Amino acid sequence: MTNNPENTSEKSLGYVVGGSLKDSLSVRLTVPPQEVKEGSFVVIESGDWRFYGTVTDLQLGSTNPRFADEQSENRLPPEVARLLHGQTLFTNLQVLPALMQEVGPDPASPEYEQWRSQHPDDSGLQPQPVKTVPAHHALVRSARAEDVANIFGEPSQRNFVIGYTREQNLPIPLDLEKFVQRSSGIFGATGTGKSFLTRLLLAGLIEYNKAATLVFDMHNEYAYDDIASDTKEVIPGLKSKFNPRVRVVGLGAGASIRGQSPDFNLTLAESDILPEDIEMLTRELNLRETTPATLEALWHDFGRTWFSEFKKMRNGAMEEDPITGKKVPATDSVAFWANQAGVNVMAAEGLHQKLGRLFNKPYIVPNPPQDSLAEIINLLASGKHVILSFGDHETDLDYLLVTNLITRRIRDEWEKRTNAYRSHPQKNPEPRPLVVVIEEAHKLLNREMAAQTAFATIAREMRKYYVTLLIVDQRPSQIYDEVMSQLGTRVSAWLGDEADIAAVLSGLAGRDALRGMLARLQPKEEALLLGWGVSLPIVVRSRRYDQRFFEELRGASPPGRSADDAIRELFG
Amino acid sequence: MTNSSLHIGRLLRSTTSDCVIGCRASELNLPAFGGMVRIPLAEGTQIFGLIHNIQIEDDGLIRQLITSDNVPPDVLLDNRNNRNVPVEIGVIFIGYQQDGVISHLLPPRPPLSLDEIFTCTPQEVVAFTGNGRFGYLRHILRRDDLPQAELLAAHIQQAGQIHLTHGRPDWVEAVTRELVTLLRDDYDRLMSVLSAIGDINLS
Repeated sequence: MTNNPENTSEKSLGYVVGGSLKDSLSVRLTVPPQEVKEGSFVVIESGDWRFYGTVTDLQLGSTNPRFADEQSENRLPPEVARLLHGQTLFTNLQVLPALMQEVGPDPASPEYEQWRSQHPDDSGLQPQPVKTVPAHHALVRSARAEDVANIFGEPSQRNFVIGYTREQNLPIPLDLEKFVQRSSGIFGATGTGKSFLTRLLLAGLIEYNKAATLVFDMHNEYAYDDIASDTKEVIPGLKSKFNPRVRVVGLGAGASIRGQSPDFNLTLAESDILPEDIEMLTRELNLRETTPATLEALWHDFGRTWFSEFKKMRNGAMEEDPITGKKVPATDSVAFWANQAGVNVMAAEGLHQKLGRLFNKPYIVPNPPQDSLAEIINLLASGKHVILSFGDHETDLDYLLVTNLITRRIRDEWEKRTNAYRSHPQKNPEPRPLVVVIEEAHKLLNREMAAQTAFATIAREMRKYYVTLLIVDQRPSQIYDEVMSQLGTRVSAWLGDEADIAAVLSGLAGRDALRGMLARLQPKEEALLLGWGVSLPIVVRSRRYDQRFFEELRGASPPGRSADDAIRELFG
Repeated sequence: MTNSSLHIGRLLRSTTSDCVIGCRASELNLPAFGGMVRIPLAEGTQIFGLIHNIQIEDDGLIRQLITSDNVPPDVLLDNRNNRNVPVEIGVIFIGYQQDGVISHLLPPRPPLSLDEIFTCTPQEVVAFTGNGRFGYLRHILRRDDLPQAELLAAHIQQAGQIHLTHGRPDWVEAVTRELVTLLRDDYDRLMSVLSAIGDINLS
């Protein structure tokens, strides 16, 4: 069979010339390469089957290297050179197939009736993961609006439009129902629009309102209006847009967030702090290997009041023995307790000194006026969304301690509620799904910390307890592999580092083909959607998070790109 | 090329793939290198061929005349009209027609000695070269002993001119594309053919 590029159908981009299921398909391009871009969503029509895939690479080729090496247009008349180049020089697309669907013969053809009688309903005709390859010379075309709707769904509250395809500006929705069922991640180097993507998704989740969200807002970005560092435009805050559905909690009594008072303040009781919370801070506080033994003795002696009791002890306090007249440790000193408890004095004193940073934290108090943690849990359980702003407490120590402590409580609570629901579904309500949003996730989920924090457990198994994570990070390679591989949906803006790219793609099919796509995303406003929650990997121009977005979200106008957006894309 | 089919000679010898025609020197203005000819056989079959060679042999008289200082015009005319050795025209078979159906395969059997040979009319050229997908080109391309590039260029020039007015105006483009397809694995041969085609001038 001879395929003349000029003879192929107007709509097709090319035809399949080779490839494999394991790698990707090679498609001979029959249109100028400028008409197709890496990351495009394409459809392959192969008999009764339709294959859906993503363009992962474009390669220049020639039937003989000499045709490419020599500029024959200088030797031949233009029309002859054009005919020669049309067949000897070509561009091949690499297409990573993701889904296949039986569509049957043309409804107008005589075979259709027989096929339809074998497939009376559409139950077996849904798109399924690709398990075979299309035939040689199967025609390839760009996805049309109906293909996008078929694969990604029609835009709705549940199918939240996160961006648009690069070529045709077709809206690409993300199924939020599926999104919250497993932990997910938003990645991208700094300045690539990670926070905007997070805001977009959070706005979608809050509007959809089928899951509660708890945002650990380390840099006080999400709650109130902010000014974009580059465009100087006002970035709407989630509290401003979704009040009263969103509650802002400030860390520490009297905290103010960007000059505004939060809905209430979070103070932790000293009794909330457990030895494992301290062990998790080993690196941050530069603790020694003797710490676990000392903590164990403290817990053994004082139980839940260990933190208060230890805090009260004086470090290095001495007094004179009335009998011998010698200097001995005072009865309220650390050394005295250590000797009593059979703990190395130096180790205990060292720990006491290092915990000084925690003893002085204003948000850790002996008797908080209210159980703020319980308040947060009640809010989340009753359908509110909580943004915990760290206010002035922006150090890693604050972030690690507070997020872990809260998450541990939440995990216990949701586990309890889930078990109660499963034991007596009639008596107990089904727990509300909860998404915990953590920024700078590598600080909590790195290889050393992952085993000790509650987050790794959530990422691994809390799906069954209705709690999932939304990880926001710029260094995914620093996150523990076991956590990364469990992530369902992954949304990634541009990443430059090879290790980060590899981490984002870990556990996914076709990662070699997808690697280049991540490295070549636009530095801004483009993201690659991939993973379990996305039917097939696709590059989108992300939606702009502005006033117009909220108008669309509230149904004032359908999602679409404005003239301003188009002008901005054209002229920067 | 004239609009009617003209007699140019008779068959001297033939094989299944080609033949040699003898014609008088006075008739030599009719056949052209790259031109298409037809050889009618019995029972409505005719063979189509392409002129790839025109050969003029010498004889004893010519040798003598060549050495003389001056050849009188009447002697020259006599030699042209009455010479004993015919002009030999080499023809490669490119297909045949049987019961009105054109085929680009080789004819089932070669023509016989003294069979008559005619030039093709424009209608016959359009019908033969516009039929199918240029299958007849393979008979030319497998013959390494022929000046392929020049023969193809001469044929495309003549047939292309006819197609321009009587057939498919895009015929030259289509045949060039087919040649690129057939020869793209042989860079040298393809470039030589395309270079010759590039010299074609259609008016």
